[in-house]
Parts: sequence; structure tokens; C-alpha cells
Amino acid sequence: MKAHLRVFVEVENLGKAINALTDAGITGFYVLEYKGLSPQDWKGFSIKEDPKSAISLIRDMATDAVLVCSVVEEKKVDGIVDALTESLKGEKYTILEVPIRRIIVNYGDQEKAERTETWLLEKDVQCFYCGEKAIQKIKIDTNRAKIWCTNCGTTRHYVIKGSEKGWDDEH
Amino acid sequence: MSIEKWNLKKSANCFKCGDATIHDVEVDTYTLKISCRDCGFTRYYKFHMVETPAQRD
Repeated sequence: MKAHLRVFVEVENLGKAINALTDAGITGFYVLEYKGLSPQDWKGFSIKEDPKSAISLIRDMATDAVLVCSVVEEKKVDGIVDALTESLKGEKYTILEVPIRRIIVNYGDQEKAERTETWLLEKDVQCFYCGEKAIQKIKIDTNRAKIWCTNCGTTRHYVIKGSEKGWDDEH
Repeated sequence: MSIEKWNLKKSANCFKCGDATIHDVEVDTYTLKISCRDCGFTRYYKFHMVETPAQRD
């Protein structure tokens, strides 16, 4: 049996939470940023129902927080919770453990996924920014690419503009 | 920002034809172009932004 562990923390404690989760043995996670009001902060409030008032209240009152989620083996949950409790001592956090009844994963078109893997290339040249001759790393994804200098870290970002059909389609 | 054009090669399965082949990767200041030598399928990327160490500090 697996469980969906949801850890609500304030933005400044995200690193601590992720490190504690990793040390406790999670294999992957996802993060959602949100704005929230805890029951203590919200108690006694009522808002005007027009969208402008509601949005301004969220902007003015709500706290920036992060939700870290992970799917873990049920037997590991107690250890993970202990690690989080220890790491986030004195901080504000909420942990939810939700049992998972079923997981369905579709890996999509495996062949296509293999074709769209990330490419990593290197070029040893002078960096346009720091002027040093250093390895320039190039990472190319389907929709974006980036090139960074291993000496100074200056990074150029590129985004997909379009594609052109091959020769086979022209005939 | 002026950068000399780089011509690189990458062996990979083509996104379009799926064959394992050589791809030419041309990197210019404002463009990046990848073309499959087998089927000619080409992807174009345009320059978006530059991030310098000073911006990160």
C-alpha cells in the first residue's frame, strides 16, 4: 500500500523540508507554490464577494507557501514524518497522509519519448562574457535550449521558434 | 553580445524519422538550428535571454 504525503511549509522552509524528505528515503516529489491562510489567520473574516475584493484580500493577507508532495510506501511514512518533525522544529508546517487506492501510470509513446530525450553537448571556446577559454555546455530539449559557461555561469536561453519538414515530405 | 558560429554534431534518434543518425547543430548568437542528416527535419530555436552571474547575486 502506498500513501500520498503532502507537506505544507512556508517558502523559506522548502529546502529544509526537501532535504529531510530526501534523507528519509523519498524517490521523487513535486512542488506546488500557493498562497494560503491558516485557520488561525482566517478566523473571524468574511469577504466582499466581488472578485476585486477577494483577490486583493488574497494578495494582502495570504502567506506564500509551498506544498511538497510525494508518493511513498506506507511503511516509510512514520520515518519520513519523524525526519520532517525534527528538521522543521519550531517552524510552521502541516503534513497530510492520504492513502492511495490505485495508481495508473501511462508512459506514453516510449519510442517518441526516446527520440525527445535531452541532448547535452560541449564546446571548448572563449566565453563571450568572461572572456576565458572554458567548456561551454549546451543542453537541448524539444522546446528550449540553454548554453552556459562552466567558468562564469553566464547562460544563454533559447526557445523553439518552429520546425521545417524533412526532404521526404517535400516529394 | 557577439558570438562566433559553432558547428556541432550529435548522434541521436531523429524526432521525425526516428532513425539513429547524425544531427548538425548550428549555434549562432541569436539562433540555434538542429537538422537531421537523414530526413532533413530541422528545428529552429531563437534567442530568448541571457543570464549573467551578476543577475543571480
